[in-house]
Amino acid sequence: MLDELLAPKYLGWLIEGFGVTLLLSALVSVAATVLGLGLCLARVAQSPLWSWPARAWLSVFRNTPLLVQLFFWYFGASALMPEKLLIWLNTPHVWDLKLFGVRWPSFEYIAGFFGLTLYTAAFIAEEFRSGVRGVPAGQIAAAQALGFTPLQVWLNVVMPQAFRISLPPLLGQYMNAVKNSSLTMAIGLAELSYASRQVETETFKTFQAFGIATTLYILTIIVIELAGQWLQRRKPAPGASH
Amino acid sequence: MKKLRLATLLALSLLSGLAQADRLDDIKKNGVLRVAAFDSNPPFGFIDPQTRQIAGLDVDYAKELADRLGVKLELVPTNPANRIPLLTANKVDVVLANFTITEERAKQVNFSIPYFASGQQFIARKGTLSSPEQLGSLRIGVDKGTTNEIVLREKYPSAKLVAYDDTPFAFTALRNGNVQAITQDGPKLVGLLANVPDRDKYEIPPFSISDDLIGAGLPKGEQRLTEFVNDSLRELEASGRAQAIYDTWFGPDSRTPLTRIFRIGDR
Repeated sequence: MLDELLAPKYLGWLIEGFGVTLLLSALVSVAATVLGLGLCLARVAQSPLWSWPARAWLSVFRNTPLLVQLFFWYFGASALMPEKLLIWLNTPHVWDLKLFGVRWPSFEYIAGFFGLTLYTAAFIAEEFRSGVRGVPAGQIAAAQALGFTPLQVWLNVVMPQAFRISLPPLLGQYMNAVKNSSLTMAIGLAELSYASRQVETETFKTFQAFGIATTLYILTIIVIELAGQWLQRRKPAPGASH
Repeated sequence: MKKLRLATLLALSLLSGLAQADRLDDIKKNGVLRVAAFDSNPPFGFIDPQTRQIAGLDVDYAKELADRLGVKLELVPTNPANRIPLLTANKVDVVLANFTITEERAKQVNFSIPYFASGQQFIARKGTLSSPEQLGSLRIGVDKGTTNEIVLREKYPSAKLVAYDDTPFAFTALRNGNVQAITQDGPKLVGLLANVPDRDKYEIPPFSISDDLIGAGLPKGEQRLTEFVNDSLRELEASGRAQAIYDTWFGPDSRTPLTRIFRIGDR
């Protein structure tokens, strides 16, 4: 079974799928970080008007399986959308920007991005929150005593430290985003897992198809890991030994 | 010289005698035609809950063959894997069990001319799909890991395929408008559509992009029996009986309506 390699056509499918996986996880990571930060701020807010909706969000998205959430956004939510919007979303659109055309992503892509982002944001919010809680209360009190406004306290005292504390678990969440993106194959998004399964169906070269996909996932995770180590060496978390 | 000629004559008459005492004669002599049919593959062969007998499209053809021979019909239930062993072990005379004609199988058994074709077809919203040329510009839902996906990609490379875990998922995507058509074997699609509440909105356009030809399986080398089955099938088509059998199971008033695209003798 090991003696045969995959034809270039099938390698091409895998590379294309890998590209979709990388772009999707990168977009999800960026969007989920922004959204997660907002969620974290809402969650730690004094006013229940902010903290309760945030609590509800966190509990819904953290306590249900991601696969079910993806099915909901792809099959469930689209059943509620107006027909015209759905038709527009499902037809290809290309904007010609002189140098290159920008293609509107498929509905599978949008639903996958949306579902993964909302899910990942809930976890990232909790990582941020634990970072915020890692900043000693005494520092906040001291800053207030020195006459800092609440905004200044956040921007100058809490945030820089919280970010450094939550960096390692945050990277773990980015790795999860890469791995979780494989679930979008269930809603027909042609990412790496989908491509490997397709290659397997056509070639019956099971070991090669899934072996290459596994290797590509591992490589991606290693790159994130190395990036994290490099970042931490530049900006060690407070309290870490110098 | 004379002796040799005599011996040759003797040998020839012996040989022809052997050739004549073939399966077709045995069937007539015994007064029984033994036919293997499915007992759990509606509407081809299944146990009718009312009569508790095997019924179906394949069984109707078996009855016609027995009637023409003027013998009793004995149905032997089978599963897909037993179809060839039943023939080679002389347990049945004919296999009528949704038996797809393949070169590989033809090395072990005789096949009649096809009497049914089960092709890869499509479900689409009424009025959106009428000819295969349109397929190249559509988003089409397929079942992951099926030959349907491979055939469609080979024949219509420009079609955008979206693969789902199974046919019900693909159909949900069609209902939601995520894909404009889904593909599977025609008889499977009618079975699916039969259970859909708003089935009036959908249709199975009357064309297929690949054909699995279904024929009767017969013991290897039994030419006279094979010829008899072929002639009978042609006559059934000519007399309209084949159409009547089809309509019983796939006609407009049946539970699983599917336009008849294949007629006996087409191939």
